[in-house]
Amino acid sequence: MIFEAAFWLPVAIMAPLLAALCAFLAPQRMSPLVTMIGAAITFVAVGFLSALLVRDGPTRHPVGGWGAPLGIDLAADGLSALMLMLTAVVGAAVALYAYGYFNFPGHNEETKQRYASFWPLWLFLWSALNALFLSRDVFNLYVTLELVSFAAVALTALAGKPDVLRAAMRYLLVSLAGSLFYLMGVAFLYGEFGVLDIDQLKKGVTTAPSLAAAAGLMTVGLMMKTALFPLHFWLPPAHANAIAPVSALLSGLVVKGSFYILLRAWLEIFYPLSHTGAPYLLMGLGGVAILWGSLQAIRQTRLKLLIAYSTVAQIGYLFLLMPLLFVKEQSALALTGIVCFILAHASAKAAAFLSAGAIQLVTGDDRIASLRGLMEMQPLAVVAFGAAGVSLAALPPSGGFIAKWFMLDASLAHGDWLIAAIIVAGGLLAAIYVMRVVAPLFRQPDDAVLHRLTLAPKTMTLSAFSLAVLALLLSFAGIAVMEMLSIGAIGMLGIE
Amino acid sequence: MQTRDIDRALQADDDTRLTRPRLFVLALTTALVAALATAALTFPANVGRLAPLAIDSLPRSGVLNPVTAVLLNYRGYDTLLEVAVLLLAIVGVWAIAPRARIWFKTPDTPVLATFVRLLLPLMIVVAGYMLWLGADEPGGAFQGGAVLGGVGVLWVAAAVWLPHAGRPFWLRLLLGAGVAAFVIAAVGLLLLTGGLLQYPPEQAKTVILVIEGAAMFSIGVTLAVLFIGGYPRREEEK
Repeated sequence: MIFEAAFWLPVAIMAPLLAALCAFLAPQRMSPLVTMIGAAITFVAVGFLSALLVRDGPTRHPVGGWGAPLGIDLAADGLSALMLMLTAVVGAAVALYAYGYFNFPGHNEETKQRYASFWPLWLFLWSALNALFLSRDVFNLYVTLELVSFAAVALTALAGKPDVLRAAMRYLLVSLAGSLFYLMGVAFLYGEFGVLDIDQLKKGVTTAPSLAAAAGLMTVGLMMKTALFPLHFWLPPAHANAIAPVSALLSGLVVKGSFYILLRAWLEIFYPLSHTGAPYLLMGLGGVAILWGSLQAIRQTRLKLLIAYSTVAQIGYLFLLMPLLFVKEQSALALTGIVCFILAHASAKAAAFLSAGAIQLVTGDDRIASLRGLMEMQPLAVVAFGAAGVSLAALPPSGGFIAKWFMLDASLAHGDWLIAAIIVAGGLLAAIYVMRVVAPLFRQPDDAVLHRLTLAPKTMTLSAFSLAVLALLLSFAGIAVMEMLSIGAIGMLGIE
Repeated sequence: MQTRDIDRALQADDDTRLTRPRLFVLALTTALVAALATAALTFPANVGRLAPLAIDSLPRSGVLNPVTAVLLNYRGYDTLLEVAVLLLAIVGVWAIAPRARIWFKTPDTPVLATFVRLLLPLMIVVAGYMLWLGADEPGGAFQGGAVLGGVGVLWVAAAVWLPHAGRPFWLRLLLGAGVAAFVIAAVGLLLLTGGLLQYPPEQAKTVILVIEGAAMFSIGVTLAVLFIGGYPRREEEK
């Protein structure tokens, strides 16, 4: 049984869920231990699942034994496996960091009490993300989206300050509206085609008005959740005001969840509409997001807002190659570029938020002006931020570089000079905002300030550093990602 | 200051003038609804979709009520995650508002408290009956849970008995029982049969009722605790 990939699909979902329940039931001081055990089992599940996937190919698990269309099917291919691994690795580093962050001297009892809820909430989020990456049922995907959103909003609110409560409330409302748009789209799909399973929809879809309605509703709903320009307005306050480990989870993983559904929905359900210009519209919004988000990031005076606007910009890249996904010759390259970008951005952005959080704990505020001279005090956090910046600006050698290499390759082969120009311009703008942060870090420190600083613990700086190293190492993973995607994901396009 | 903000927001709500931006939003919404309605009118007629299949499979589902079969068997995994959403809501609310914003004082007359005391056992029986009925006819854990939630709100509002502020283990156990029963059944069946939530047809009804029973109590307590909006507390603790 344990040597079949199908066995591990539900384990990857149930292990963190059961751990979340135990963390809720056990006394709060036990939560980190419970999280560690739950994380270990989930790691084993994700590891076995990915290894067996490489050996045996894509796999399915009919929940309840019914099978689609009556029951719900879980399924894994190379793309889902990559997303599961990403979630596990980034999540583990963030959890290690959170442990150090919460035990940092200076939090009062009430704050500590609130932070204790991080553990069950994170486990809920992990379970929900795994469930999302493994689901093959459009209604079940709605349920996972709800779980992801509620966990993410509650995590955002953990910071407990008025600013963050306002931001979390706005996040909740936007997220809820996005879910309802998505759900209405599901109703149209079911009303027209009578099934909810993605594989059955893929075989059965026709260009009916209902398909267009579903595509419009679901795309808008998921755009809201992914924060694609111009529906990005909720993201900067939420991601910037949350506590650092939460910001890392939100920017690194949560927005990728809704994008993952959008990607699959277009490739496998809405593909008959690929000639309508909708993919070009998404591409255009992505392009504007890159330019607008980068310019906003350059203007910021607060470190975490700068990083949050950088997320707004980088989300644009996920949509930039939408039209090329439907061009037969470029599809594989474009998909590999997008997935590499997801992996690189998740690790680099999480590393950036984590090191910013370490720096912020040390300096006590997050103005960019207060960063002077921290290289001498917290070299590891600063190096982590710098390395993450290298990947965000897509300089070699980094995951960001290899992702943009694939993207440039695909767009130039198809003769899309505009896309190529935006990719290059976005990289330059990113280099500018990264340098705005890195330059003061290396300046002469102000002695009077530096003497009263408490250093961030090694657990924090090391986990930020290891994620940054991962972002750089991904530069050598391009071919591996492509091979992984060749397990069922490349060629998932409905038209053959 | 917060009260003033709320007042201002309420006043803003009373403002119903049809300004130009509002007219624009209204027009846009109307157009969207019209377009969606037109699209919905093109649905193929006389198609049973999945309903015939759901009815045909009833003999293997362990229950006779097709809704219960969908919720607890065919798509039981959806319901498992939905029950987890309820628990997540509690974790979230307790994280943000550790102490309830409202508290309760014992009413001046003993009539209400006595009434609620009498009502509680009665309502537990009603909820249990709805749960039992749900296997074959309309009813089930969510309906029973709603009844329990209603009596829970009354129980708290009449200040019959309230735990001290905090998150006692028995309360957490009640809140988590639904998820616990569901996940344990799911994982247990995965290890036994190799399929998540794959009930053996002969035991299906028992498993469904056990899960529903636990879920019903969790749903009821969750609704009551969400009504309080934080750890329960009594007047003297304010």
